[in-house]
Amino acid sequence: MAVDVEKADTGLGSPGDEPLLKIRDLSVTLKGNRILRGVDLQVRKGNIHALIGPNGAGKTTLIRSITGAIPHRGLIRFFFRGNGRIGYVPQLLEFDRSMPITVFDFFYIMLKRTPIFLGGKRRMREKINRILAATGCEHLMERRIGDLSGGELRRVLLAQALEPKPELLLLDEPASNIDEVGARRFEKMLVELKKRQGLTILMVSHYMQSVLYVADRVTAINGRVIYEGDAQELTLSDLLKTIAT
Amino acid sequence: MEYIYGLIRNLAETGWLPSIFEHTFMIRGLLASLIIGPLLGGIGTVVVTRKLSFFTQTIGNGAMSGVAIGLLMGEPVDATYGGLYGFCLLVALVMTYVKNRSRLANDTVIGVVLAQIFGLGIILMIFVTSQFNIHQVEGILFGSLITLTDLDLITLGVASLLVWILFSWNFNKVMLGGFNAILARSRGLSPVLLEYVFVCLLTLVVVASLKLIGALLVLVLVVVPAAAAQTVVGNLRGFVWLSMVFSTFSTTVGLLLSGLLPVPSGAVIALVSALVFYLALLLRPLLNRVRFRQP
Repeated sequence: MAVDVEKADTGLGSPGDEPLLKIRDLSVTLKGNRILRGVDLQVRKGNIHALIGPNGAGKTTLIRSITGAIPHRGLIRFFFRGNGRIGYVPQLLEFDRSMPITVFDFFYIMLKRTPIFLGGKRRMREKINRILAATGCEHLMERRIGDLSGGELRRVLLAQALEPKPELLLLDEPASNIDEVGARRFEKMLVELKKRQGLTILMVSHYMQSVLYVADRVTAINGRVIYEGDAQELTLSDLLKTIAT
Repeated sequence: MEYIYGLIRNLAETGWLPSIFEHTFMIRGLLASLIIGPLLGGIGTVVVTRKLSFFTQTIGNGAMSGVAIGLLMGEPVDATYGGLYGFCLLVALVMTYVKNRSRLANDTVIGVVLAQIFGLGIILMIFVTSQFNIHQVEGILFGSLITLTDLDLITLGVASLLVWILFSWNFNKVMLGGFNAILARSRGLSPVLLEYVFVCLLTLVVVASLKLIGALLVLVLVVVPAAAAQTVVGNLRGFVWLSMVFSTFSTTVGLLLSGLLPVPSGAVIALVSALVFYLALLLRPLLNRVRFRQP
């Protein structure tokens, strides 16, 4: 029996037609293994575009190709009109949890040239407070990054990806390592960000309900594109069948 | 330089400083400590967070070969700067290159390089010591205030100033690159390039401090004060400042004690540094209550 899922009110009518990102015939081979071949993808401006697929399908590889972190063949073309910035929230942030670095320090070293041991001005505190407020984590400013929970860290990383405001936001498994309540809160935040700031988001996700709730368009890949369509026209069982093929 | 020596000598004679500082070699040591102490502490914060302790030790061990190469090139016995800086820089760059290119674990790569340069250093030292004064070379290994010259101090000052400027300018980016390379790259940084820049600065500092601390113990002042600071503070600003304070304290107190005892300065500085670390560990619960606040 097909199960329908609540769709978020994303604040826009039908998805926009103007592309922000076009990928043509993308292929990636890493250490002799072909991860992606002939991938075509188009992300429209102002959309939340979900990328789904089984483990090992190449979703993270695709995201990292877009950021330029790994070599690829094919065309990746951006249609930016502003600062051309890509915000990125990785799936896993590997770091030394014993590092004496607070959330404030983390943003300071990202945003300022003045070395932190010579700076630390009040104005930066106000600015960082505003940045953290975008994802509701101002209260985490003095906390050590290594002490944050999975959900807290994900919100902090989202805040860093949004500063300065990107033209394209890439999220790799934003709900992984977060509990159900935290994941729902995160989804609502994404929808709000899109409504308020008109963000374009390309999001990798394993959670079908999450995809159906927030996404405008869905692309399923497994080394290559196996499905693409409007999320509004899909049901949960449609998506699950797609992944199973 | 004589003006500065005269000033410090006066302070020692009038009791403001210990009387041991009436001697020129101790004054040079004090000046060297005050110049290099804070810098080693600052650089040490990056070494510790990026887990470059073994890497640093290998650079120091390259000094033996560097001195021998400098002597073979005809450099003066007490000023083998070309050989020292050149060879140690080469070692640092080769290790970084191999580390980024191979699939081996970092400490494996460093161990391989360490074995090579140690073997080379021993062979070269045996070859050159038949022709030169061994005590000058011992000073490189163990640190010796006696061998510290005015030229060493000037070189130390110039190198330190250069490193301070470049280190400060790149500190935030180097820290972010060390925190997570993928995130740093997404913010437009080049973590690999930053790594090369940092190892060059680290090499300059290590080589500059060899005569004070010695190649075998230079690791101590780079790592231990930063490690002590890390046990106490939980933010970057406090971490850097406390590391600089611990490092400067260890070098100056260690220097003073080595002047009173017939032992190499590096060894005493190492022991003072270790004492600071264990004290920080023991006093951590108390010191944590005196938080290093952000302004």
